[in-house]
Amino acid sequence: MEEKNIRNFCIIAHIDHGKSTLADRLLQLTGTISDRDMQEQILDDMELERERGVTIKASAVRMMYDAEDGRQYEINLIDTPGHVDFSYEVSRALLACEGAVLVVDASQGIEAQTLANLYMALEHDLEIIPVVNKIDLPAARPEEVAQELEDLLGVPAEDVIPVSAKTGDNVKAVLEAVVRQVPPPGGDPDAPTRALIFDSHYDSYKGVIAYVRVVDGVLSQKDTLKLMATGAQVDPIEIGVFSPGMLTTGILRAGDVGYVATGLKTVHECRVGDTLTTVRNAAAEPLPGYQQVKPMVFAGLYPVDNDDYDALRDALEKLQLNDASLVFQPETSQALNFGFRVGFLGLFHMEIVQERLEREYDLDILATAPSVEYEVVLRSGETITIDSPAELPDESVIEEIREPWMKIQVFTPQDFIGPIMELVTKKRGVYETMEYLDASRVMLTYRIPLAELIVDFYDRLKSISRGYASLDYQFDGYEPGDLVKLEVLVNQQPVDALALIVHREQAYHKGQKLVSKLKRLIPRQLFAVPIQAAVGKRVISRANVKALRKDVLAKCYGGDVTRKRKLLEKQKKGKKRLKMIGNVEVPQEAFMAVLRLDED
Amino acid sequence: MARNSEGSRTVSLYIHIPFCRSRCSYCVFNTYVGLEHLITRYVAALCNEITLLGKYSQHPIVHTVYFGGGTPSVLSPPQVARILRSIADSFSLSDEAEISLEANPSGVDVLYFRALRQIGVNRLSLGAQSADVRTLQLFNRDHTWRDVVQAVRSARQAGFRDVSLDLIYGAPEQSLEAWARTLDETLLLAPDHLSLYSLGIEPGSAMNVWIGRGSLPAPDVDLAADMYEYASGRLVQAGFEQYEISNWSLPGYTCRHNIQYWRNLPYLGVGAGAYGFTGALRYSIVASPAEYIRRLQSVETAPEGLSPAVNQDSIEYVDRDQLRAETMMLGLRLLQEGVSRSRFADRFGGTVEAYYEREIETLKQAGLIHVMEDRIVLTAKARLIGNRVFMCFV
Ligand SMILES: Nc1nc2c(ncn2[C@@H]2O[C@H](COP(=O)(O)OP(=O)(O)OP(=O)(O)O)[C@@H](O)[C@H]2O)c(=O)[nH]1
Ligand code: SF4
Ligand SMILES: [Mg+2]
Repeated sequence: MEEKNIRNFCIIAHIDHGKSTLADRLLQLTGTISDRDMQEQILDDMELERERGVTIKASAVRMMYDAEDGRQYEINLIDTPGHVDFSYEVSRALLACEGAVLVVDASQGIEAQTLANLYMALEHDLEIIPVVNKIDLPAARPEEVAQELEDLLGVPAEDVIPVSAKTGDNVKAVLEAVVRQVPPPGGDPDAPTRALIFDSHYDSYKGVIAYVRVVDGVLSQKDTLKLMATGAQVDPIEIGVFSPGMLTTGILRAGDVGYVATGLKTVHECRVGDTLTTVRNAAAEPLPGYQQVKPMVFAGLYPVDNDDYDALRDALEKLQLNDASLVFQPETSQALNFGFRVGFLGLFHMEIVQERLEREYDLDILATAPSVEYEVVLRSGETITIDSPAELPDESVIEEIREPWMKIQVFTPQDFIGPIMELVTKKRGVYETMEYLDASRVMLTYRIPLAELIVDFYDRLKSISRGYASLDYQFDGYEPGDLVKLEVLVNQQPVDALALIVHREQAYHKGQKLVSKLKRLIPRQLFAVPIQAAVGKRVISRANVKALRKDVLAKCYGGDVTRKRKLLEKQKKGKKRLKMIGNVEVPQEAFMAVLRLDED
Repeated sequence: MARNSEGSRTVSLYIHIPFCRSRCSYCVFNTYVGLEHLITRYVAALCNEITLLGKYSQHPIVHTVYFGGGTPSVLSPPQVARILRSIADSFSLSDEAEISLEANPSGVDVLYFRALRQIGVNRLSLGAQSADVRTLQLFNRDHTWRDVVQAVRSARQAGFRDVSLDLIYGAPEQSLEAWARTLDETLLLAPDHLSLYSLGIEPGSAMNVWIGRGSLPAPDVDLAADMYEYASGRLVQAGFEQYEISNWSLPGYTCRHNIQYWRNLPYLGVGAGAYGFTGALRYSIVASPAEYIRRLQSVETAPEGLSPAVNQDSIEYVDRDQLRAETMMLGLRLLQEGVSRSRFADRFGGTVEAYYEREIETLKQAGLIHVMEDRIVLTAKARLIGNRVFMCFV
């Protein structure tokens, strides 16, 4: 197709504002998916996405659209995730597009990631098409929200497109706007080939599948291709488009979005952000790539069964192909043996990675409590960076510990300002400014230590605001803090994987909570198990898990055999998921206990 | 009956009587209150089921019969007699067969027991549960301890030599002292056999609801462990032998029917909600008495040896691995006999170690089993934590 008949756009929004549902309607409208094959949020094809009703990965899809001007257009759509932890997915999708449909929920209005994603799109000079969704809801206030968008973007409120992605009402107007307002790609079809790899996944038959946006020239199955950064050469196994399944076309031209099955086996040869060109007529300059994102939180991931170490490494490598933000390196723990220190963009990201490893790779893994990255200035004058409490040197050699602080924006109805203030203060946060978004909603700006932000801040914010508050954050800087290491001893042995770095003033409180939490989580063993929390040499809290006295099926007669056998099988399975620390069996939840200290 | 894989022609027979006058607060058994009007037809259905099974399986020897419930003592002696006659007609009922019947201490007397004795019942199991008034009330039992005393006396007068009592310990708010008193009172009655059960709070029971609501404290498992240990000591003093985790008997008074289960040998189950094991498969009979009666009306065959009232979804084929695992899990419950090495080898064509080398070694190291020349048994310290041992084999 000629470039002038191609449009590339992405859908961006705050979480749950209806991006994937809108994508569904567009796929139906263009006949890309028959009504029979349609299912809700069809682009959320990962099991986890479907289960949680959340988009985790951006997905691209090609549609053919017969517009009202009588011409047929090739439209490439990228649906993006709305959760703040996945904004890196959005940023990469933006580079493959010339336009962005900005969706806002008509009952909720502008939220934190509406702004965050909008600013990202503007930075990339994308044409913005504002859409107000869910106008079918009784609580919808489309005119007000359109007005908010006018104030924000400077487009007249009447140009904001009101739709219901659920009923399909007025969604055709979105496609018409895309055709009319989003500029065609504008690459040079005759120049040496350059295609940007914006995502990938691993296929056991076809190797690394690179998702590409062709900027100049042509990608053809007949050519030998080259990755400009790594120098790797490939004879593509397959080239095609997403429709939404992979559909072979053998060729992709300037402006197209599609995929190249490379046959490559590892991530090292095919990086997201690299440029593909042809060997025969190689381009001189690669396209600008992506900035590698910096992880915010770090946690140890360990196989429950030590024999699964290699399998876990393989799985992490494969997952890295589908999650360009994932970083990891080997780590050893006295308590947990061999595993990996893994960096995440946030706790939700961590949870998703953990679940994907368990489901997609069938691994039993154990995660330690997440930590942030500290800068430790030593008496010697040297500064080291640590991302695990176990690495903190002895107090006597430390001059100063610095921790990362974040700037956060909280969007909330003004009714909740009081409780939010209280929460932030409790978490060592500092108030900065308050701006009115409209008559009843405000944007609060605070500074807060990242370590406090990652521990249940978001959940508590949601619960005290009855779900209304939303949050965005950016790294602000490192600052010294009065921080100490809180150690946990199980059966007299310090367990490195349970250690925490906490503010001195919170050490006592947290130590007590942690000990009583662990006491509840660690099942009774055949002997009594003391649990202690200590700062330095000083024990600040202790408790005993009493020895198990009784564990036997009282009654077992003819009628019970099958049931009793199944009960025992279940019990056995449960025990297998426990981790041996010394001679104590510890459940995986114990390592995450620190996240829920204030719950009950 | 499918011919059981042991080639043995000796089976046990369990007969379920799913009627009770009231429901106990801990009970989740398959039993019904207020369905007494079905009893006559139910007995007819039982007789029909027994006849069909006997015919199909070519009249194997029945060496134990057990009337369980529910409350089997809701049956009149002629009803019991009719059932026993069907068994005698369709199976080879051995002369020395153990024929047990569970009875409720209320609503029974010497005449009733005498009649049962005369038609061949030779073992009685009485649901005594507790000598403590408050515990009996909590359990919603429909009898007093005096009823228990009276029932035992009547049974003796009627000529029963083999009388067993069931007791429950570890109830919420039950003290160790109260339990000790129940044991004392019980021993005064000179039973031949005792089954002592730790109270389990089962989903679906009234007690589970009370505890969930917070109107009743949950049982204290550590205290239950103390009670168990106390009972073990007390009963040994009184001349009892603990032959199974929850069962004690005077010498010669073990329950042969239950030993059949623990040896993992075949038994037929008849009656609504009964379970059976042919040696090759496990099954259960439909739970509803009405449905059971319906299914047994005017049928004359038992296809593949299974009752026409079998619950199709319950049929489970037991392969060799599972049979072995169950043989260990059940056999180790027998504290004296344990898992017999010779019987195991005859049955599975290899020693216990040949199949479970690692498990046996680990458990031995941990002091949880004794490996003897002729058998493997739990150690004293493993009795209360038997699951840790059984688990290794499933
Ligand atoms: N009533 C109504 N509900 C809608 C509409 N559009 C989406 N929804 C519902 O809103 C919820 C979120 O929709 P999604 O399409 O998954 O939202 P999303 O923006 O893709 O969410 P993330 O990808 O997780 O950020 C779902 O329950 C949808 O059914 C609409 O127009 N009207
Ligand atoms: S008598 Fe037995 S079967 Fe009947 S309700 Fe009580 S416990 Fe349940
Ligand atoms: Mg989505």
